[in-house]
Amino acid sequence: MAIDGVGSRSSYIGTSILNLKSQLDDLNQQLATGKISSTYAGQGVNRGLAVGLRAQVSAFDAYADTATNINTRINVANLSLQGLVDLNTQVKTAANGSSIALGTNGQTAGQISAQSAFANAIELLNTRSGDRYLFSGRATDTPPTATADEILNGSADGTRAGLSQVITERKTADLGASGMGRLNMSGAGVSPITLAEDVAPSVFGLKLSAASSTLTGATVTGPAGSPPGISVNLNGVNPSEGDKLSITFKLPDGTSESVTLTATTKSPPQPGEFLIGATAANTTDNLQGALSGAVKTLANTSLVAASAVAASNGFFGSPPMRVDTSSLPLDSATGLVAGTPTNTISWYTGEVAQSATDSARGTAVGKIDQSITVQYGARANEDAFRVQLQNIAVYAAVTTSATDPYANGQITALSQRVALNLSPQQGVQTIQDIQADFAGAQTAMKAAGARQAQVKTMTQTMLDSIEGVSPEETATKILALQTSLSASYQTTAMLYQLSLAKFL
Amino acid sequence: MSLGQALATAMSGLRANQAALALVSSNVANSETPGYIKKSLIQTATTTADYGSSVRIAGVNRELDAFVQAQLRTEMSGAAYANIRSTFLSNLQGVYGNPDSTGTLEAAFNTLTTAIQALSTSPDSQSARIGVINAAQNIAQQLNQASQGVQALRNTAENGLASSVSTANNAMSQIAAINNQLLSGNQTDASTASLLDQRDQYINQLSQLMDIKVVTNGSNQVSVFTTSGVQLVGVEAAKLTFDAQGTVTPNTFWNADPTKSALGTLNIYFPHGGSMDLIATNSIRSGTIAGYIELRDKTLVQAQSQLDQLAASLSSTLSDQTVAGTAAPASTLPQQGFDVDLAGLQSGNVIHVSYKDNVTGRTHNLSIVRVDDPSVLPLPNSATNDPNDQVLGVDFSGGIGSVVTQLNAALGGANLQFSNPSGTTLRVLDDGAANQSDVLSASTTKTVTAANSGAPQFSLFTDGNVAYTGAIGANGSQQIGLAARITVNTGLLSDPAQLVAYAPGTASGDTTRPDFILSQLTNASMYYSPQTGVGTPSAPYKGTLLNYTQQFLSTQGNAADAAKQLADGQSVVLNTLQNKMNATSGVNMDDEMAHLLALQNAYSANARVMSAIKDMYTALLQSM
Repeated sequence: MAIDGVGSRSSYIGTSILNLKSQLDDLNQQLATGKISSTYAGQGVNRGLAVGLRAQVSAFDAYADTATNINTRINVANLSLQGLVDLNTQVKTAANGSSIALGTNGQTAGQISAQSAFANAIELLNTRSGDRYLFSGRATDTPPTATADEILNGSADGTRAGLSQVITERKTADLGASGMGRLNMSGAGVSPITLAEDVAPSVFGLKLSAASSTLTGATVTGPAGSPPGISVNLNGVNPSEGDKLSITFKLPDGTSESVTLTATTKSPPQPGEFLIGATAANTTDNLQGALSGAVKTLANTSLVAASAVAASNGFFGSPPMRVDTSSLPLDSATGLVAGTPTNTISWYTGEVAQSATDSARGTAVGKIDQSITVQYGARANEDAFRVQLQNIAVYAAVTTSATDPYANGQITALSQRVALNLSPQQGVQTIQDIQADFAGAQTAMKAAGARQAQVKTMTQTMLDSIEGVSPEETATKILALQTSLSASYQTTAMLYQLSLAKFL
Repeated sequence: MSLGQALATAMSGLRANQAALALVSSNVANSETPGYIKKSLIQTATTTADYGSSVRIAGVNRELDAFVQAQLRTEMSGAAYANIRSTFLSNLQGVYGNPDSTGTLEAAFNTLTTAIQALSTSPDSQSARIGVINAAQNIAQQLNQASQGVQALRNTAENGLASSVSTANNAMSQIAAINNQLLSGNQTDASTASLLDQRDQYINQLSQLMDIKVVTNGSNQVSVFTTSGVQLVGVEAAKLTFDAQGTVTPNTFWNADPTKSALGTLNIYFPHGGSMDLIATNSIRSGTIAGYIELRDKTLVQAQSQLDQLAASLSSTLSDQTVAGTAAPASTLPQQGFDVDLAGLQSGNVIHVSYKDNVTGRTHNLSIVRVDDPSVLPLPNSATNDPNDQVLGVDFSGGIGSVVTQLNAALGGANLQFSNPSGTTLRVLDDGAANQSDVLSASTTKTVTAANSGAPQFSLFTDGNVAYTGAIGANGSQQIGLAARITVNTGLLSDPAQLVAYAPGTASGDTTRPDFILSQLTNASMYYSPQTGVGTPSAPYKGTLLNYTQQFLSTQGNAADAAKQLADGQSVVLNTLQNKMNATSGVNMDDEMAHLLALQNAYSANARVMSAIKDMYTALLQSM
């Protein structure tokens, strides 16, 4: 407002001085805060732009926070992955080359080391970054697996079966009551010799896959019929020395093994041979005895190992599968049944995939830029982890009786299978694949982070040019104002001195 | 006897000198008195006897420049208006906070998006969830406070009007009183001059309050009118009344109809009966009072509606779920159309139907708005912010049967047929074989209130304890004053896990809901009401929440800046005029001193004449 009535000289000068004074105050505040104004109004025409720029800077900070967070998680997860890779190598080496001498607990040194390796692998999968489980999919507050002890040995109260029990049950089911791998064989003195599966359909025991022979004059038929069977009839003709009978079996873990018997005249015949008798009937008996022994050996060595591997594969499935004893006893069971949460340990406790397209990586998605997201989720039941766990576990869980005549064969067969399965398989996900995914995410974040840092600097510079002031400029303005203000004061004072009243 | 005459003349000279001296002293004494106009003596020579003339004091002259004074008064009301606007708008800037500090809406918004981003990264983290709730509460409180600030300013304007009115009444009655005192005649004595000074002061006071026109007649009487022609003072003063209301909230508005008005109105009562509403007739166009009225009823209402719009968009963008209708079953052939489910459709929620008129080839977008109070019907097209739709309000209080009846009555002419095949399903069909129309799509937009409905949408913010659905009731839209009432859903406060758990059994690391919230806050583009002053009715502003915030903060900043510049400019004009007024009509000390010298000389000269006369008398007497 105009200053009214403080005399003709004073009003205009007074207002001007007040004006200068308030400008000086403003400049002082600018110098102190480094900001041009404390209101939107004072920021000038670019005030709207400044709102956007501040939001951008804030978003960059948020993205940077996210990236830091995710980087930490991936780094922690990577440590676990590397640990798992090392364990894989360690167990594979043990299975490949360790001694087959059994310790007091019925396990070899390699198996005992596999036990600690399994416990370690479980621990690595249960790793947390902060409060977050990294291998549980979206259920980040739930540990991804049951404890190693529970998985191997079942719940402490014995109500829920662990892997050991599932393996034992399956072993009984695969061997059958006669220990012949669920095969029935004709007795001595019966011709033709028949070898048939006990029941069809059944998932247990040895499966007849093929039969061939070079036995002179003999007829080998099958496998045919239901349940499938093979018959060998010498037709009253003695085979020549060196003639062979070969039968191929399919084992529960998907491997195949053949039994080949060669006719010989040398007595006693070596394993894999049968003696040509005086008559064809004698030879038939010899062949029957040799075949029976060979099948029994196969059942008690490779089949036992394959059974354990298959049992472990079922146990680590979702849901865990075990021998169905609902209608038949263990040794004559024909099928598998899903274990329930009340009778079987469920090894994976994290989130399961909601659909076929619900990838494990997609369970944790971080937004690291306006339109860039990185996926870094993982589930412990991914193939790479599951294959490794189930093979280490089976190696760790199987025990062999030292008094068992087939002990060496069993251990050898098991070790071979474990070593083979722990090697990378064609078309099966490996831990290295997951590491590659994570590395990709980290690379993307690094690139985004570098770009954002650059843009943020530019944004901040622009923001400073809108809301900031240069101290030099402000100081200069203050100096100029000071001069002008003191001149005004001086002039005003002089003006008041200049009155005729003084000179009268 | 001419010596006697000379003596008398010298005496008259002395008297005049003394009177002039008295005026000089009064001028000097009042040199700093507001409204004091420089006085000078009116003296004339009168012929006495045959020779010479003596001095007669005719009166006191006010050395007033009436032209400058009239100009000054006009500028006074302009400057008062500009000043009050600038003061209020700069106070309003305080409501929006220091742009660089954390106490601003944009900072609260940025904090919220940052917190959501953190939640999206760590949905299982309790601290991230609490962080979001705190940030949400922060922005809700920020809106509440800003709204309070705006309403406090409106309240100040209301009170300012009341005190302005009492000042105006005082000035007007004083002017009338002085008019009466001056009624005795057109005198030019000192007391008249001082009364005139006083009256001018009151007129100046009045001119700061409103824009006035002053008419002076020959007998020193003034009549004061507003520039719009309403007489304020004649022989008697009119009386202004203002019924100030103590409570000013976002929902209280001035209305020309006194029964509907929740704020004070300005009435004038004329001395001889009759009254009029000065706000309704827009009679006051400048000055403090006009400034207050504009601030209270327009500027600050708009500022509030900007905040309300932000609050409403913030609420509804997170809670509104649009579900497309399903194609009507084949049994309706040849008529084709869609079924939409109205379950959960709340007051203010919208059913969208898009159809093509095959005669004109035009596509129409219908927005059927649920209304529970039939008194608000029909709804204006501005009930939705979308400029491309046709709004149709439908009363749902009578059940779905009545809804179908209303829709068929309103849209039968558009060849649309509505029905209710079962339950809460609404079916909209075209006209079948006649093929005058085709229904292109139908959908519903509903406010999702339950936190675990299976949809990522939910009411993160609520209107007090009820969901914000945009309901339109007898008291207006739910949006009005939402900024003052917006709060974080209390269900969420007691269970922060709702920020993640969008369905029963949601895994704690599931980012579906946080991702949705983040994308709605940062990327979703929507329309904003032109009432906010951002955008126009034909082309409403469309953008993200941040864009909108940017727009209105920018608009407000600009307005405050412009108002300040205007006020500064006015102040310079006023100062210049005041200066000019002081120069022409004020006391100039040097003038007075020079005048004093002259008077001293004249006095001694007169005295000298007397002394000479005395000498002459002495000589005369001694010679006898």
